[in-house]
Amino acid sequence: MQILRCVALSAVLALLPGVAFSQGKAAPKDAKVYFITPYDGQKVRAGFLVRFGLRNMGVTHAGDDYQNAGHHHLLVDVSDPIDPKEPIPQDKSHLHFGAGQTETFLELPPGTHTLQLVLGDAKHYPFEPPVVSEKITVRVRPPPQRGK
Amino acid sequence: MGEIRNFRSGNQNEPPPHGAMPRRLAAIIVGDIASYSRLMQADEEGTHVRVKRIERDLIEPSIVEHHGSLVKTTGDGFIAIFDSPVEAVRCSIVIQQNLVGRNASLPKDSRIEYRIGVNLGDVIIEPDDVYGDGVNIATRIEGIAQPGQVFISGAIYEQIKHKVVCGYESLGDRKVKNITDPVRIYRVLPDADAVGGTRGRRENTLIFLLGLTLLVSAAGVLWYLLAQPPGKGSEQAATPTAAPVASPVPQPPAREAAVPTPQPSPSLASPAPPAPTPTPSQSPTPASEPDMIAIRGGSFAMGSNDDPTERPVHQVAIKPFSIGKYPVTVREWNECAAAKACGFTAMGKDDAPVTNVSWTDAQQYAGWLAQATKKSYRLPSEAEWEYAARGGTQTKYWWGDKLQPGMAGCKDCGDAAAEQPAKVGSFKPNPFGLYDMGGGVDQWVADCWHRTYQGAPNDGSAWSGGDCSSHVLRSGSWKNDSRYVRPSNRDGYDTNVRYPTHGFRVALSP
Repeated sequence: MQILRCVALSAVLALLPGVAFSQGKAAPKDAKVYFITPYDGQKVRAGFLVRFGLRNMGVTHAGDDYQNAGHHHLLVDVSDPIDPKEPIPQDKSHLHFGAGQTETFLELPPGTHTLQLVLGDAKHYPFEPPVVSEKITVRVRPPPQRGK
Repeated sequence: MGEIRNFRSGNQNEPPPHGAMPRRLAAIIVGDIASYSRLMQADEEGTHVRVKRIERDLIEPSIVEHHGSLVKTTGDGFIAIFDSPVEAVRCSIVIQQNLVGRNASLPKDSRIEYRIGVNLGDVIIEPDDVYGDGVNIATRIEGIAQPGQVFISGAIYEQIKHKVVCGYESLGDRKVKNITDPVRIYRVLPDADAVGGTRGRRENTLIFLLGLTLLVSAAGVLWYLLAQPPGKGSEQAATPTAAPVASPVPQPPAREAAVPTPQPSPSLASPAPPAPTPTPSQSPTPASEPDMIAIRGGSFAMGSNDDPTERPVHQVAIKPFSIGKYPVTVREWNECAAAKACGFTAMGKDDAPVTNVSWTDAQQYAGWLAQATKKSYRLPSEAEWEYAARGGTQTKYWWGDKLQPGMAGCKDCGDAAAEQPAKVGSFKPNPFGLYDMGGGVDQWVADCWHRTYQGAPNDGSAWSGGDCSSHVLRSGSWKNDSRYVRPSNRDGYDTNVRYPTHGFRVALSP
């Protein structure tokens, strides 16, 4: 038990500075995240490639706490604003790319959808100020008719 | 290469046995300790133990984490190969940055500093070594590097310059020993702002703060231990904490000391026996097993038509198994952390589910539990998880088709959304007596992620083929809405990435 208490105590102490710096990591003012493809208003097939662009910052793994680096999150049909004090949510409309991916093959049902990129820090928090792309709209074409 | 003594070979990536000379392109890291002879002369045994510890705690895990493989360690260095130049350079930076932290509190002349060289080249791979020009050049580059630095060749630089965020300082073309053509060399500056060799002031402050805190906590722990009345196992307790500061003594992993508990008949493992801790003063607590519920085998329709990922609905047969009554808790996790078998010590209340674990973390816990208890603990397969979550029902939720308050912890499940997940077992159990199968924390299962069930196994086993860089998450979390609470809901997430709502529960084969 003593050992456990000691371990817990030292862990708490060791983590203190981490806690103090964990939220809202500063991003350079000229950092810019954007879509390489598709462009705003593009008509796409049900499965299409989305490529993420990032300027003046770098892409790294989630968990890697390097300065001026983060990982991509792709928001699909999300209308809620981003909460800078919370980690970027993880669900089917907030796709995470914590392994440092810079593109993805996205499959969406036919119709109009919005896409937006948000850069997250080592702990999935948005940067301060947030590094967020324009919200773009894509129109997914209905699948080709298979009839003869 | 000739002068490197081969102390030990550890190869995790066997090449195919056929074919005379398996050649491939690889990024090669060569690392070597600066002034090794001087360190050995000053303190032979101490240095040896410290080097081995750095290899075990830092170098080997970093290589694995970056998908590389350690070819061999030599007395004063190591050679590793990577498929990806990016990963190789990242791994080198991680190693060097960690060493800065480790060395911060040591006097200058007893610091262990590595020189690291990285090159890209075509190599011949043999079970415990690699050969080729590429390796020789990497060794030469390493020889030029200053202690604590990473030097890379032009070939590596071309591959990574836009991918790894660092500063790179060109050192021009250098002529290296016994290599005909000059080699272009770059120095890696881990912080892009540090061009010119100055470390960012902020980074310095951080390292200083961290070092200070570690020092303070180490001192605190030492004081705490020394202030105790002597006797009652205090020598035992003093060894592990004092080790990093004083002359290090190799310590056996605590898990080997775990006492195997008397084995109850595994088929009726229902309420697990209370944790067998006879005397509170004993320092290494044996692993306490999570409460397990035995599940009879059967067959069920897995999946649903509510989401494309859950199609097609398919019949799956399940063999008898046991599964955790609750997700693994902070208390249970921290036993693994205390035994140094799990990566970090979890914060939060003891009976809250452990969170912020990656699939790899969860896998480590299950492996440790299996070893400590000598039972076949593991992660459940996705099919086992859904079978257990349905509790014999085929409805949308296990309690029916309508949302009801008090059944699960989720954003719109009818209870106030909490900042943290409720302690385990706060909501009603399902018909199998399992808690939190839906809502609470997301739960990792053993299977690799596949977008649909097309081609899924139907024998209840884990689906391991395909792209295993992501694994399957089940249950949804307290931050998700009620769609995620459905027992058929599934999602994939990067295998090695931690996220604050991700936890897991264990399973046990009979």
